[in-house]
Amino acid sequence: MIRRAPTAAPTMTKLQAILVRSDSRILRGLTVVCLLTMCAGLAYAQTAKAEAYSAGTHATTSDDNNGLINVQQSDLLKKRVTDNWLSYNGDYTGARHSDLTQITPGNVSRLTAQWVFHPRTVSPLEVTPVVVAGIMFVTSANDAYALDAKTGKVLWHHVRAISQGLVDDPGQHHNRGVAILGTRIYMETDNAHLLCLDARSGHLIWDAPYATGNKNYGATSTPLIVKNSVVVGISGGDDGVRGFLAAFDAETGEEIWRFWTIPSPGEKGSESWPGDSYLHGGGTTWMPGTYDPELNMLYWGTGNPAPDYDGSVRPGDDLYTSSLLALDPDTGTLKWYFQFSPHDLYDYDAVQTPVIVNARFKGRPRKLIVTANRNGFIYVLDRADGKFLFAKSFMNTLNWSKGLDENGRPLLTGLIPDQNGVRVCPANGGATNWYSPSYDAAIHMFYFRSYEACAMIQANTKPFEQGRNYYASGIRAADEEGKGYINAFDLDTLDFAWRNLQIGRDKGWGGVMSTATGLVAYGDDAHNFVIADGRTGKPLWHFHVGQLIHASPMSYAVSGKQYFAIAAGSDVFSFALP
Amino acid sequence: MRPRWIETLLALVVMFLFGCVSLDAHAQESDAVHGAQRFMEYCAGCHGADARGGDKAPPLVSPSNTTNLSESQLFRIVQDGTKGGMPPFAQIGDANIHAVVQFLIRLKNNGASENASVEAAITGDVEAGRSLYFGKAECSKCHLINGKGGFMARNLTSYARNRNADEILRAITTPDTPLVPSSQVVTVTTKVGRNLTGVLRNEDNFTLALQTNDGRYYLLARNDVTGVHYSGHSLMPRDYRTRLTPKELNDIVSFLIFASRNSRSDKVEGR
Repeated sequence: MIRRAPTAAPTMTKLQAILVRSDSRILRGLTVVCLLTMCAGLAYAQTAKAEAYSAGTHATTSDDNNGLINVQQSDLLKKRVTDNWLSYNGDYTGARHSDLTQITPGNVSRLTAQWVFHPRTVSPLEVTPVVVAGIMFVTSANDAYALDAKTGKVLWHHVRAISQGLVDDPGQHHNRGVAILGTRIYMETDNAHLLCLDARSGHLIWDAPYATGNKNYGATSTPLIVKNSVVVGISGGDDGVRGFLAAFDAETGEEIWRFWTIPSPGEKGSESWPGDSYLHGGGTTWMPGTYDPELNMLYWGTGNPAPDYDGSVRPGDDLYTSSLLALDPDTGTLKWYFQFSPHDLYDYDAVQTPVIVNARFKGRPRKLIVTANRNGFIYVLDRADGKFLFAKSFMNTLNWSKGLDENGRPLLTGLIPDQNGVRVCPANGGATNWYSPSYDAAIHMFYFRSYEACAMIQANTKPFEQGRNYYASGIRAADEEGKGYINAFDLDTLDFAWRNLQIGRDKGWGGVMSTATGLVAYGDDAHNFVIADGRTGKPLWHFHVGQLIHASPMSYAVSGKQYFAIAAGSDVFSFALP
Repeated sequence: MRPRWIETLLALVVMFLFGCVSLDAHAQESDAVHGAQRFMEYCAGCHGADARGGDKAPPLVSPSNTTNLSESQLFRIVQDGTKGGMPPFAQIGDANIHAVVQFLIRLKNNGASENASVEAAITGDVEAGRSLYFGKAECSKCHLINGKGGFMARNLTSYARNRNADEILRAITTPDTPLVPSSQVVTVTTKVGRNLTGVLRNEDNFTLALQTNDGRYYLLARNDVTGVHYSGHSLMPRDYRTRLTPKELNDIVSFLIFASRNSRSDKVEGR
């Protein structure tokens, strides 16, 4: 199903916006070409060119810095994402939007596979590669690799055995990649250690175990660098751990602060957690957050309460589960929170990327957070104070809520899971999930994957036990087949510009990214990596990777050549123009 | 048919004898070679030549359950197969199973034999060794140990965990035996006549990956290179036998053994 933008006029404006951007980029490119021509006699330029063996026609930067890894704070704070892709989402906004312009709607049909990297450890990979100066960093379980981003060939490999005895997600050894600062990279291990490796050699500098006291703790995410600290979340929210967010000194690995997402006795919200249940309340932080350096606020989503489906043992709202937290990154102090699904009974984690957006909202320029939530609503919040501004359902069959009140609190329909099960839409897997959304600021378009499915959710009161999950009962899939969509939500009209039904036998878990030339890249439900026209949703190119895509794409450039990369199944693929 | 049959029988006899010989205490190296050969013969078809897994079977190196199994557990798996579909290999005989298991244990221990010297005697002055490591001997310029030091050469944090003092001393005084391919220093001449000297991290028929002392990677196409001079050496100085006294060398060895024994383990109680 494709829904077009409601009127032609705004579409034209956006088309013009793209053209204007392209023009200025072309002019800038021409200037660079002229300057380079003038300097052609310089041996230095010649050397650089000779070494750029696969040099394209579009030089974004010189090769001066290729191969030299040294990421500064100023690099992390850059407003444009070009050759380097420095973090899971590309930059602090979480927009997963590349400003590279070599690949366009006009030439994308010529895109070809450049290389495949096969780490031979876990499948499916959930990593987003990080690229610095032509070096790509990927993780697979507890292993890390540095690759030549032009060829996929291994420069170093940090080997670390998987951990035994983990339950649930960490027991599958998923890992979403590295964070980088200076000459060091940081990664989480399945058993929740924060590792600091030398990015030039892969050698371990320090190893900070950061979750103790409950064997069900684990980690599957990627750290976020904020100033000189490394912020990490935790996994195990379906297994009865107590969620937290912690910051470590990037130099020494010493802990700076820790924010518990489940309050201890006596603290605000503790009425939901009788006895020692706060120690098993979930609210984990298993995806990286975003950061606004101007407001000095860190935004991080929290997961479902535990036990997942049995709400009888956790009365009230279950703070701060299924929420968005805004924290002071220097101290870990809570500035505000917004709870999407109070007293969640359906496993509606709220860890989907809280994207930082500066846009006119209802005519007024505002600092916003835009996020599509697992509970089936897309939200717009004021990111200075967490005030609810807008929400809209993106699921046709949503049945757990009749809508939201003026504060964004859901109006419930009263579906309480019991031993027989109740039919809940969206299913426990969510109307969307951790796979990345994307935001194109030039046309105010928010792209994300969604999934229409229902499930029979059953509940049964059970005690917490280490070494076992803590869903407190389970799921029967409802009879009908689910449907996946790639969506474009227009922040100007506050409506969908288009929604593309995904046809395929396998539910896709591939995220979305966008580029400055108006392209949107994603993994579909039939093992294809697809690049579509962001204005219409029309697919322009695809490549069959032959495996389930369970990761989100990124783009980078080396020696003037733009690439798209995505992990699929047990491999990482890279694509570029010939 | 008959000659092939005789050949096989002869091979089995030789393998059997080789297997017996390799059990001799001094034959650690040939034991390793033997194990590697048996692995290639019986296991690599499914688990990959590098033991990192293939289409039919999982990896036997990290991340893998194998790395946490005991010698007897590994022996039993090779002998009886697994419920997951691995066939039994009892038919290859205990000696060959033993060789394969020893090979797997060496993989787990990063190339060192299991019982080399877990508790190698410390006969030198650890503190003096530490001072030499970070000072006069300049080991730390290239080698990281417990998070401190350079990045160009291998991490020595757990290097001595499975090596005895003689092995470590030999590695210091007669480096490059054998030369690890990814540590070889090469000089590459590019088409424009520029010479780049660095460590050859990777190469194949099409590309070269060179790392210079400042940490920078040069990722070159063979087409853009007119010459490659292979030095036959790593960056490791070859004059430590004369640069340092026997006591100093022994102090460094002692420091390495001490450091690896006290390095932080991957496993932490309660995670």
